[in-house]
Amino acid sequence: MVIAIGFEGSANKLGIGIIKDGVVLSNPRHTYITPPGEGFLPRDTAKHHREVALDILQTALKEAGVTPDQIDVVCYTKGPGMGAPLISTAVVARTVAQLWKKPIVGVNHCIGHIEMGRLITGAVDPVVLYVSGGNTQVISYSQKCYRIFGETIDIAVGNCLDRFARVLKLSNDPSPGYNIEQMAKGGTKFLELPYAVKGMDVSFSGLLSYIEERAPQLIKKGEYTPADLCMSLQETIFAMLVETTERAMAHCGSKEVLIVGGVGCNKRLQEMMKLMAGERDAVLYATDERFCIDNGAMIAQAGIEMFKCGMTTPLEEASCTQRYRTDEVEVKWRD
Amino acid sequence: MGCNDVNKVDLNVPFSSKREAEIAYGTLSVDKEPKRGGVKRVVSVDDRFLKVHFEAEEVRSLRVSINSFMDYLLLVIQTIEKFGPQS
Repeated sequence: MVIAIGFEGSANKLGIGIIKDGVVLSNPRHTYITPPGEGFLPRDTAKHHREVALDILQTALKEAGVTPDQIDVVCYTKGPGMGAPLISTAVVARTVAQLWKKPIVGVNHCIGHIEMGRLITGAVDPVVLYVSGGNTQVISYSQKCYRIFGETIDIAVGNCLDRFARVLKLSNDPSPGYNIEQMAKGGTKFLELPYAVKGMDVSFSGLLSYIEERAPQLIKKGEYTPADLCMSLQETIFAMLVETTERAMAHCGSKEVLIVGGVGCNKRLQEMMKLMAGERDAVLYATDERFCIDNGAMIAQAGIEMFKCGMTTPLEEASCTQRYRTDEVEVKWRD
Repeated sequence: MGCNDVNKVDLNVPFSSKREAEIAYGTLSVDKEPKRGGVKRVVSVDDRFLKVHFEAEEVRSLRVSINSFMDYLLLVIQTIEKFGPQS
């Protein structure tokens, strides 16, 4: 029996979760929400994390009904992510690990998403589409490594959606992506946008500039509604993601596809992926916003796997790193 | 500008026990100063005191570095108060 606590704060969510042998005991989180039209900056986000971390930690312990002495290992997000928010979260994790005399495990954020997705859905060896505000990767496991088959060559898909939401001055509550998704449901007229798949990689920045430049005029002249533009944007970028994911599945002969990351709770993306999977006699696995969006439990889950194979992090090495690729981690816990 | 005088600041932070000072040291000595900032920071423990020495040519980067360190120090102190053995 292993009980792990996970600290996540690589972006604008501060989450702390407790897991006991694959069962989520608690997973509270708090999101730093900026006014419409504004993104979140590292300094302010770090301040948010420092302000809420101790209350969230208290809640996590209380909801789980766990006392610190019952915890076996303290896990935290080592990277990738924004520097100051990562460090603010890690500072709390390092301090409690010393107070409670527990070992530490530094977790790769992307691996956290993958392992949480596998735990919740039961997918065994899926091709993984990891889509969030900071990352866009198509991943497949092979020989102790989550290999990146394709990825964005510029901005992440979630960043593209978030920034378009700013153009439309959509609310960032609960998230800009969610509000784009709701708005897109009312779209009827499709605007053709640049479709940028380059081999196995995708590109979103040119597409974003294109729609950012034209949106205000198109809406003003009444040619397209904001809903039409949201729909067009979603359809185009999701088609790009489904195309590259399908190619990875064909290459690997995989019959499972798993979507993780914050954008992964978008129902339209899930629907498009499910259509593709169905045509290939494959199964789609996805989770809802509790586990798709950054949370502490996912860090605890990946941390448990690492802890069980002895991959602990000495305190003096429990640092943070803004760049930390998914394929840098040796996946000792899988065959 | 152009003067090479090194500006120094020393902090001497008392904790209620040597163990707490060591915990603060353990947490705060992990993150290195950014290389570009030109600030040198040395953290050490002397009994129940956390000692921090800052050095920089530019006063501005020295202030930025100290401010940032204080934010994290405060967080460590609050964490010890709320989740330490006495609480």
